[in-house]
Amino acid sequence: MNLLDIDSLTLELPNGTRLLDGISITVAKGETVGLVGESGSGKSLTARSVLGLLPERATMGGQVLLEGEDSLRVSQQRLSELRRHSASMVFQDPRAGINPMRTVGEHLTETLRLCEHLPAEQARQRGIEMLKAVRLPRPEQHLKQYPHEFSGGMLQRVMIAGALISSPKLLICDEPTTALDVTTQAEIIAVLTEQAKSRGMGMLFITHDLNLAASLCDRVYVMSQGRVVEQGSAQGVFSAPQAEYTRKLVAATPTVAVDPAAEVAAARPVAVAATADRAGALRARAVSKTYTIRGQAPVRAVQDVSLEVSKGAALGVVGESGSGKSTLARIVVGLESADAGEILIAGKERTKAPRRRAERLAHARSAQMVFQDPYLSLDPRITAGHAIEDALKLHSKLSTLDSRNRVLELLDQVGMTGKHAQARPRTLSGGQRQCVAIARALAIEPDLLVMDEATSALDVSVQAQVLDVVAEIRRERGLTVLFISHDLAVVRRVCEETVVMRHGEIVEHGRTLELLGNPQHPYTRLLLDSVPRPAWNREVAVQSAT
Amino acid sequence: MALVSTRATAFKSGGTAVLARRVAGKLGSLLLTLFLSSLLVFFSRFIVPGDPVSFLLRGRKPSPEAIAQVTTEFGLDLPPWQQYINWIAGVLQGDFGRSLQYRQDVSTVIGDRLPVTFGLVVMAGTMIAVVGLIAGITAALNRNKLLDKSILIGLTILGAVPSFVGAIVLIAVFAVQLGWFPTFGSGDGFLDTVYHLVLPSFALAIVFVVLVGKVTRSSMVEQLDREHVEVATSRGLGRGAVVRRHVFRNALGPILTVSGPLVAGLLVASTIVEAAFGISGIGSLLVQSVDRLDFPVVQSIVLLIVTTFVVVNAIIDILEPWIDPRSAAGAGAR
Repeated sequence: MNLLDIDSLTLELPNGTRLLDGISITVAKGETVGLVGESGSGKSLTARSVLGLLPERATMGGQVLLEGEDSLRVSQQRLSELRRHSASMVFQDPRAGINPMRTVGEHLTETLRLCEHLPAEQARQRGIEMLKAVRLPRPEQHLKQYPHEFSGGMLQRVMIAGALISSPKLLICDEPTTALDVTTQAEIIAVLTEQAKSRGMGMLFITHDLNLAASLCDRVYVMSQGRVVEQGSAQGVFSAPQAEYTRKLVAATPTVAVDPAAEVAAARPVAVAATADRAGALRARAVSKTYTIRGQAPVRAVQDVSLEVSKGAALGVVGESGSGKSTLARIVVGLESADAGEILIAGKERTKAPRRRAERLAHARSAQMVFQDPYLSLDPRITAGHAIEDALKLHSKLSTLDSRNRVLELLDQVGMTGKHAQARPRTLSGGQRQCVAIARALAIEPDLLVMDEATSALDVSVQAQVLDVVAEIRRERGLTVLFISHDLAVVRRVCEETVVMRHGEIVEHGRTLELLGNPQHPYTRLLLDSVPRPAWNREVAVQSAT
Repeated sequence: MALVSTRATAFKSGGTAVLARRVAGKLGSLLLTLFLSSLLVFFSRFIVPGDPVSFLLRGRKPSPEAIAQVTTEFGLDLPPWQQYINWIAGVLQGDFGRSLQYRQDVSTVIGDRLPVTFGLVVMAGTMIAVVGLIAGITAALNRNKLLDKSILIGLTILGAVPSFVGAIVLIAVFAVQLGWFPTFGSGDGFLDTVYHLVLPSFALAIVFVVLVGKVTRSSMVEQLDREHVEVATSRGLGRGAVVRRHVFRNALGPILTVSGPLVAGLLVASTIVEAAFGISGIGSLLVQSVDRLDFPVVQSIVLLIVTTFVVVNAIIDILEPWIDPRSAAGAGAR
């Protein structure tokens, strides 16, 4: 008998929308099964249905056998027991998933105390044991701490400890590392696999990251629009995808692996254009920024950073959270002032954050930013066309008719049509929204476009589309881009040159391919090693090394 | 990540120091608020029309000598700031001056009536807490169902009823028609007082029940959608424990925040209810004293209400870190 046996599961909302359509998935004891797909594919919903966490008033069909018991049909009482002993779940965002008003100890031990009626001391011991198992440094002390005192990675360990505390047979992980830095992700994955192995647990691992799934899973299921479109061994599915959708997904997934032959083949017209004009579009010299918060040690967000981007080039800035890359971006676009140093954009002094209206307009023409989350950076009440038109009107004296035409041109450039001009952000997809944000930034014809994690919130296939749009515009107009990202693979697709930041400093700087192929700084190497790679490629690499 | 850990250590090492500084800061701003409001309360007398002297001498033919005598007797000839200093010095020593209408110490006049109002406010407060919380929690847990909608509609209708109308209806039904409760007065002895105050406190509570009920509902609904609630459910915790430990506990903040202004609101609204039920508490005393230009009494009662308001809010502020540990560290609520 399989540990988990989902058989033709369907889920329908009262309005008739079918979110899951005939899902069949099995997980055996000790096996790690991946569930991959983009947002809206139903992978989270499938995982949640195992634990009976269903949307209100949803109609279910099929069955979900957890150790032979149908979790869709058992009593509430029995369902609670299944949730404690049979299957447990690690959620995506530990910051949201752990009650901020209760201590870590309460989070860990409440089911033991309230449901299993364990004495407080015994429950505490179990909590300490679990925190040790997930490698947190000071278990006794952690039990009394509140979630806000932990970093994201530590908190995710707490979440895992909480999931494992009543020894489940199946661990469901729903994007457990998506909110984390790549080096932290590697640590968390190590903890998860170690625990799964030592306990002989089955693991259902949900992720949008094909590389991660490939590095971790024995078998994978690929989901799209509520259906399983492909399944098989991880190696089989990813190296020889059969379904159209899987092929698209694999093609859209960026990778850090450097294949010299392929790189030579891909001639780089953009790089050629870049050399045409040596006058730097962006020149930053010894820029520093320190935040002082009363009663706390000063945070040196950016320290002595110098960089140069020539006109038409793209520079990637890579780093983990807290590395100062976003602060640098904010200084460049004039949202913050640098404490020291100098910034020149297209030869113009842009060091200080603008104060007066004229300064603001001038700075805006120098540099425009595309923000991470298009859901937040566009006003939900203003149509896409209007948002772009507003930017145009602020900076030019175009007549209404001319600016309308210009809006259509801009939308066309980012691969959208005139009918999108009338659409409010709510009705656009995430990728379309980000394209509107790009079009708005381009409307001003800035000397420099700063993209701060501009594709991080998007699905891989959408990300690929947005990156294509950016590449297209760069080819056509010689746009200069400062591309901030935590994702080395994405930077590789966009940027000829890359700097790596850590603790506010640039630790390495070089041509992207050389940097990825032959990293010099230990931190760059750590970053690269932390990027998940397919298990079979790793073996190949090890063999070729020896 | 580094940022978070420095915060964490700062919080650890200075936990009690942070709390002490917080409380001290609160007390400082509390005293400042009280001082400013005492200025406002005292000097407002010089703005409103009416002269206390003419009231004191009402019904008599005021000879210039009599006016001069009364003026000196009550210290009304001194410059305003001198009068303020005399007044505030007295207040600080527990001497609130003399009532012009009763010719008694203000503290005696107020002291006689305070227990009744206090009882009224406490009973109303209890009703508000019990009924408001139950209504809000029930509605939130049955979100968008018939029960939720009926509770919301019921609360909205109740909220539209002014307390004096509510008072009249309550008297008409429960006192006159059914004869269950007395119509008038505040009774003698503890039980009799409680009995007398049932209808008045109910009339007083109605509007505030609506407020607390609605805030509780929306705060609970917001928490119900939080991911940590789903996580707790997925861990196999029963529904009751999840609601108690994760939903209600986290929803407390906004509920507590509205209860501060609510206490002052109760004191103010008690003026109307006391008048309607013929209870001689400080509410009815305030109305009466304003009517008769009895400034020392008016000033003292207003100062009392302001003080209660400020103190209650300061207590709530100081309790906040206990409700939400994040605010203690100054780490900023997320």
